[in-house]
Amino acid sequence: RNLILFQRSTVPRKNVIEFRPPLYKQRYFFVKDIVNQYKPKKVADLGCGNATLLCMLKFHSCVQELVGVDLLMDRLLDWNSDKLSPSIGDHLGPRDLDLSIVLYRGSAVEKDSRLLGFDLITCIELIEHLDSEDLAKFPEVVFGYFSPGMVVISTPNSDFNPLFPASTFRNSDHKFEWNQTQFQHWASNVAKLYSYTVEFTGVGVPPPWAKHVGYCTQIGIFKKKQPDPGSWILAKPTGSRVSEPEEHAYQVIDPRKILHAHKWCQSWSTVFTASFPSLQQKHFLLFVLCTEVLKEVEAIRQKYVWIMKRKESSEPESEEDTDSGLVRRPGLFLTDAQVAQIEKSPKPYSVGKRFYVPLKRLIGYPKVNRLVADVSTLRTLLAEGIPMRLNRAHTSVQIDLDPYDYPHDYR
Amino acid sequence: MSGRARVRARGRARSPSPADAPSPTSVDISASEASSTGDFAGTSRISQTHGVSPGDARCPFIQRGGKGRRDFMDLDVCTREKLAHVRDCKTGSSGVPVKLVTNLFNLDLPQDWQLYQYHVTYVPDLESRRLRIALLYSHRELSNKAKAFDGVILFLTQKLEEKVTELSSETHRGGTVKMTITLTRELPASSSVCIQVFNIIFRKILKKLAMYQIGRNFYKPSEPVEIPQHKLSLWPGFAISVSRFESRLLFTADVSYKILRNETVLEFMTDLRQETTMSCFTQTCEKRLLGLIVLTRFLAFPRYNNKTYRIDDIDWSVKPTHTFQKQDGTEITYVDYYKQQYDITLSDLNQPVLVSLLKTKRNDNTEPRVAHLIPELCFLTGLTCQATSDFRLMKAVAEETRLSPLGRQQRLARLADDIQRNKDARFELETWGLHFGCQVSLTGRVLPSEKILMQDHICQPASAADWSKDMRNCKILSAQSLNKWLILCSNRAEYVTENFLHCLRRVGSCMGFNVDYPKIIKAQENPAAFFSAVQKHVDPDVQLVMCILPSNQKNYYDTIKNYLNSFCPVPSQCVLTRTLNKQGMMMSVATKIAMQMACKLGGELWAVEIPLKSLMVVGIDAYKDEVSKGMVVVGFVASINPGITRWFSRCILQRTATDVADCLKVFMTGALNKWYKHNHGLPARIIVYRNGVGDGQLKTLIEYEVPQLLSSVTEASANTSSKLSVIVVRKKCTLRFCMEMNRSLQNPPLGTVVDSEATRPDWYDFYLISQAACRGTVNPTYYNVIYDDNGLKPDHMQRLTFKLCHLYYNWPGLISIPAPCQYAHKLTFLVAQSIHKEPSLELANSLFYL
Repeated sequence: RNLILFQRSTVPRKNVIEFRPPLYKQRYFFVKDIVNQYKPKKVADLGCGNATLLCMLKFHSCVQELVGVDLLMDRLLDWNSDKLSPSIGDHLGPRDLDLSIVLYRGSAVEKDSRLLGFDLITCIELIEHLDSEDLAKFPEVVFGYFSPGMVVISTPNSDFNPLFPASTFRNSDHKFEWNQTQFQHWASNVAKLYSYTVEFTGVGVPPPWAKHVGYCTQIGIFKKKQPDPGSWILAKPTGSRVSEPEEHAYQVIDPRKILHAHKWCQSWSTVFTASFPSLQQKHFLLFVLCTEVLKEVEAIRQKYVWIMKRKESSEPESEEDTDSGLVRRPGLFLTDAQVAQIEKSPKPYSVGKRFYVPLKRLIGYPKVNRLVADVSTLRTLLAEGIPMRLNRAHTSVQIDLDPYDYPHDYR
Repeated sequence: MSGRARVRARGRARSPSPADAPSPTSVDISASEASSTGDFAGTSRISQTHGVSPGDARCPFIQRGGKGRRDFMDLDVCTREKLAHVRDCKTGSSGVPVKLVTNLFNLDLPQDWQLYQYHVTYVPDLESRRLRIALLYSHRELSNKAKAFDGVILFLTQKLEEKVTELSSETHRGGTVKMTITLTRELPASSSVCIQVFNIIFRKILKKLAMYQIGRNFYKPSEPVEIPQHKLSLWPGFAISVSRFESRLLFTADVSYKILRNETVLEFMTDLRQETTMSCFTQTCEKRLLGLIVLTRFLAFPRYNNKTYRIDDIDWSVKPTHTFQKQDGTEITYVDYYKQQYDITLSDLNQPVLVSLLKTKRNDNTEPRVAHLIPELCFLTGLTCQATSDFRLMKAVAEETRLSPLGRQQRLARLADDIQRNKDARFELETWGLHFGCQVSLTGRVLPSEKILMQDHICQPASAADWSKDMRNCKILSAQSLNKWLILCSNRAEYVTENFLHCLRRVGSCMGFNVDYPKIIKAQENPAAFFSAVQKHVDPDVQLVMCILPSNQKNYYDTIKNYLNSFCPVPSQCVLTRTLNKQGMMMSVATKIAMQMACKLGGELWAVEIPLKSLMVVGIDAYKDEVSKGMVVVGFVASINPGITRWFSRCILQRTATDVADCLKVFMTGALNKWYKHNHGLPARIIVYRNGVGDGQLKTLIEYEVPQLLSSVTEASANTSSKLSVIVVRKKCTLRFCMEMNRSLQNPPLGTVVDSEATRPDWYDFYLISQAACRGTVNPTYYNVIYDDNGLKPDHMQRLTFKLCHLYYNWPGLISIPAPCQYAHKLTFLVAQSIHKEPSLELANSLFYL
């Protein structure tokens, strides 16, 4: 993924270095990999800029809360808010879990209690924009106060800079650019002070002739030390950390800080909020469930009618006519165990012009089972969503055996 | 006449009106075009700079993007100024005044309100529209001002201090960009550019009310109506626009529903696989899916920021496990890509890949880019033909979307309330200096009802919506006697056919239509047998062929109609066996079929009083062919007697992308010749009703179709040529009128005319309600007189139009558009749906297509 392309330009002696994918994308992909690996529930991006990283992270099913913080927020929001808001497709195919996205305008070195209890905080290319005063406050705010399960900090590696044509800072707003030793020294101290572990890596592999300079962007991954080291992330209920200061094992606890936290200081202003449709919200669950159930029933009916016609025409029996023939169909992916379970359940049947599928059978289908765990919940929800489609005893879903039986006209 | 036929009679079958619902709420059924994402739909740029020009030239937004953008509101068409007789007054006088509530809202502006248009250039030039906007918006000088900017043209309500303002900004990468903002125009509120800007503002406001723009309308996902048994979601919403009406600026909002499908393309495909055999699966699949618009939560390849795509092809050779090349040159499988990017696990690893051609914004000759889409992740939108012909589905949709006038009013009131209460929306309005006012009421007139002239009887129908009871036992105006004819039926239908024939002859003699005993031919129950029976037994001497069809299969109807309309031109009447089996309905079915047959033989059923003595009326309609895409069927129907009871019908298939007709001169000359032959002279007046005109086509119509008609008319006679008027008829308009009664709202009475306030100052236009809606809200028909030599008083024009709505022989009652238009529609519908060929000229003198 971190493939880079070196182009030797026609001008001798100077090597133009170009990263593919571009370095900023490599940084974002790095965070995505972290999210894929550790499955954090609550993620915040300090210095989120135009919220591109948040746009990429919103697709991760594990993430339930996304926060972006930046000093300059409004100017790019006008259209990025479109990308952060739920799309039409999000309404049609809701997520499994809730997701809310909030953007704040504010400084990363100001405390705001709304960022307490997060699993992951990322500061991508942020610290080099802080002046010495803010940089000094930064560890106390992020590690001491927010104190998330994990922090990812990236910053330019100045060891790499000689490989670029211009030997100044990479951006005029950078207050400093550290070499590997400087960054690792700072990071290790911070980690030690707030009882985190830190490991170093980066993106933007140096060319083969200059291996010693290290990654173009250096990254520190900080993980909070826990009493139980095996479950340092996602192990505890989030949001309750404020009242558990004893978690900070090696740290001198400042009682004023806890007091401060309890006051719910809110120094940032909310610029944007969005809440995504999900199956945790009842009306979405109801609709998706009813649609899935009716799709399933319709598919079973088609197969049922097909087998019935074959039997009528007394064609030689084939494997298709057995019970598993009724269960299996293209597009439905079932394990043998699932097939066996469905076969054991009550069979679909028809009475007159009506066709019935017992709820006990429906619950065996993975697309239904994914949404509700047991028959009684299924019954309750269907009775609310599609009462006309349940039989009188509420044990089966009923549809017409031949749905195309309706009158036509002359011309 | 039952459900389906009635829909054809009263409304255009292509509109989604379900059976026995003359006028449901407008339902946006068409698959949505790619929704625009920005404030301005077009993103291409003009490079020329503008000098300051006072006054009002054409809007730059419209000009940009070459053929892509259309002036949907026909803002720059001003026809009224050329029509001297209506320059001062275009209102009628007859009828009883009636007070009507509209779906219009006042928009107030300060007296001295002005819009300032600026042109913005960047040094160095920036390609990215986003970056252009971001840089400009970040400037303090502009941050608190009301503004609209598309990357090139900037609109402000407050004038900048200098005519030319220079700003500079730093980009992310550290470069400096210089922006020059030059004033190009100062626009008064009445200018058409301002109208466009107002529309942009309201689009922004509706977005702030958490609505989604799909196509040109806005929909609210938070209150969906769900129909799980048909896998449908209906999103309520509004079609909105701001326009300048007679004297003021008004906001229009009409309730609309968007049909979304909770079905992925993959599910559609697996369903289809169960229905069809393997061999024709790919073929059927392509037939059903190509051209449909799909919607996806994810970006396709290459990454392209678009949420809707058209399926242009299906690549069966590509599977999700195959790799593709990313922009950076690396290869990745679709499965891995979706896992990595979107945390999605694809379930079916054998599904093919959908291919969509991406529209290029620049008009250069670069190869079109394609996007690959995974069927499992794409939702279908809109309804397929299968779905629209599904009676139950359409009924379910209609039941959910049909709104009474009162229900509609409540929706509107809530929208108005939301706009006024929402903080962001209010702020947006205030910064622009706009004030959202109250709902508009106006006064219309109810035209006097018409008498129906039969052969020996004049009846004043109890209800103009349906006078079938009033004409029972009345003789129709004229009918040819039916002596030599055939009935074709299956063996099983022999008994019902005999029964039916008996009834037919009885009702025929009552109405003065002599039906002799036919030759009855029996055929096997399959389309091929029916067709060969037709081929074998029909010869040109046969007056009429009746086919009693065993089923509704399209094959039966299409092959028979095709043969009898073009190869062996003989009028034909198809009836379903099922219809004849209906208990207790036989007499009324027979009556209606007898009338249709009489018309197909060239008979006349009834008339209304026409005060103009030598008047020809013409109806024109255009319809896209179902089978061969890119073909348009143009129908032309002209009256050939002063009583307006006999018709001359022509039809042509033309290969064009637009609905503009090419062949009108030939048709018009043909009609004039016919008139001359029957009346020994030319008509003094000709009034043409043109239906099937899309948004933004008015200008083309005036420049292209009217001259064709005129040249035919002037060439027909050396001395005094007939006087011509051309009226554009629109059934789909967003305006609604309701009548307040007993503290509730009702549909206005039949014959209600509105010709003030809700009309446009630049046009000679009026609304007429000529159809009844027993449920739902009635949809007024909009008439716009774009050419008028006749100089009839507006009152006479309105009343004549109303009279013509009485003359459609397939329905004994009023219909929503003038009869010639409905005939032309019926003709084009038959050709586009079934025949796909020009019908024979020999049939042109009868209403063979009824």
